[in-house]
Amino acid sequence: MLRTQPVPSRKWEGCSKDNQSPQQAGGRMSCSMTPRELVKRSLELRSPVRVPRQLWLLPWAIDRHPKEVAEIQARFPDDIVTSPPFYKEALRTAGEEYAPGIFIDEWGCVFENRQRGIMGEVKEPLIRDWREWETVRVPRERLSVNTERVNDFCRTTDRFVLAKTSARPFEQLQFLRKPENLFLDLVDQPPELLRLLERIHSFYLEEMTLWAETEVDALVFSDDWGSQSSLLVSPSLWRRMFKPLYRDYIDVGHQYGKYVFMHSDGCIADILGDLVELGLDALNSQLFCMDIEELGRSYAGKLTFWGEIDRQYLLPFGTAAEVAAAVEKVHVCLYREGGVIAQCEFGVAAKPENVRAVFEAWEKIFLG
Amino acid sequence: MDFDRHCREESVLVDVQEALLKGKKEEVEKLIDETLALGLPAARVLNEGLIVGMDRLGVLFKNGEVFIPEVLVAARAMNAGMARLEPLLVKEGIQPKGNIVIGTVKGDLHDIGKNLVAMMLKGAGYRIIDLGIDVSAEKFVAAATEGRADIVALSALLTTTMVQMRGIVEALRSNGLKIPVIIGGAPVTRAYADEIKAEGYAPDAASAVEEVGRLLKG
Repeated sequence: MLRTQPVPSRKWEGCSKDNQSPQQAGGRMSCSMTPRELVKRSLELRSPVRVPRQLWLLPWAIDRHPKEVAEIQARFPDDIVTSPPFYKEALRTAGEEYAPGIFIDEWGCVFENRQRGIMGEVKEPLIRDWREWETVRVPRERLSVNTERVNDFCRTTDRFVLAKTSARPFEQLQFLRKPENLFLDLVDQPPELLRLLERIHSFYLEEMTLWAETEVDALVFSDDWGSQSSLLVSPSLWRRMFKPLYRDYIDVGHQYGKYVFMHSDGCIADILGDLVELGLDALNSQLFCMDIEELGRSYAGKLTFWGEIDRQYLLPFGTAAEVAAAVEKVHVCLYREGGVIAQCEFGVAAKPENVRAVFEAWEKIFLG
Repeated sequence: MDFDRHCREESVLVDVQEALLKGKKEEVEKLIDETLALGLPAARVLNEGLIVGMDRLGVLFKNGEVFIPEVLVAARAMNAGMARLEPLLVKEGIQPKGNIVIGTVKGDLHDIGKNLVAMMLKGAGYRIIDLGIDVSAEKFVAAATEGRADIVALSALLTTTMVQMRGIVEALRSNGLKIPVIIGGAPVTRAYADEIKAEGYAPDAASAVEEVGRLLKG
């Protein structure tokens, strides 16, 4: 699940921490280059002076390690930021999303949680019976974005701005039906499933278009498609039911001159070629669930790898040296004069020193 | 006539497997009824029809030829078939291959992985005592004792909850229960299983069936 948290705007200063001259810093860009331009150069494989950075924070990290989070953010400012939506109408949610207890999302899906700082799980489906599907309320408040304020936000930051788009058709279906029911539905294919998916997709397209008309740099969508070692569903089912939806999201972005970013957890190697074919610009995935060398051979230079460094083992249990070696591996396998964003998630159980080591390792590679 | 009947006895069990693999619940029920009408013992229908079918499914799942939705519909068909057979199995005095206590550890509400493992194990002929989610060490100990467990299976999706597994292994041992423990879940590795002295580890539901078989033989 996509878990980026907006962080305060911060201007990227200079080409390196030592304020080296452009020549010292690689001679490939001027010191006046903004983080936004740096990200664009990376996406377009135009030899950025360094990889752009982005730290994702789970509330858990802020609760547990506020001092270390602040220190990492100060030392390695993000080059990418998500625009607040500035909704004119509040989303109809209830409870706290990352707190123990019950959280109800804007669709009415009920999440149970036991741990502060992480997201809960749907235990009771909103749609118990397909006869109830028409009662699902589309959260149109998400379309009440104050686009003028979004544009102001984009103009007053020099960082690359992501839209706060919410498209995640597969996950939303799981939240509405409960995962096990949905998996059965995917085989049974009741006609109501397709009607609901069409309704959800139309809403997401409307939201995507709304954001595409603003001055953000990129649209974002997400869906976790992988288990630890394979796709959750067959590639053929994915291609038949979900690939066309993603094609629409990417096409909307490109029609408006925006980049399009996607997040998907798990081992998704089987659909990476499809995402490249659709023209996806950047993908956040769990690289370490896959064969990184093979990803490099097949897809480096064809889309940008928007992180990450292994958050399941390395960040919580590894050493700083192991983290640095992982960064080096990503660099060697995937970097092609761009095509990589130094993103990592400071999530549950991650050691602050290892998160710091991610950015230190990238800095060392590019700035010595 | 007898020859035809013999042929059908053999082929109907293969048909049960095929219907199971396709997740065709009504067809499985119909075929089970046919096997019983042919006079086949329920134990044979279970072992040569449903269990072989689930075993074949496990191989396909492990090889990446079928995925979670196909496993779930097959499990649904398996359950429908078992509902037909269970009263007869009791009459025939057929015992499950073993008792397995399974649950997601304390603090963790994720259960789809655990449920898949439970379904595959049930399909392989084991009796499942499913403790659900957010299960404490004390509950595992109590259920393992009361249920005369042959295996205790622990699941966790989160790095933070995975660490509960160590306490559960220790609680079982300190209560004198030497039952093999098998662990699994996204962040779990064989190295972690070794570290906490869990005897078994499975990276996926199909492997869990193999691992349980290995542990019970050992």
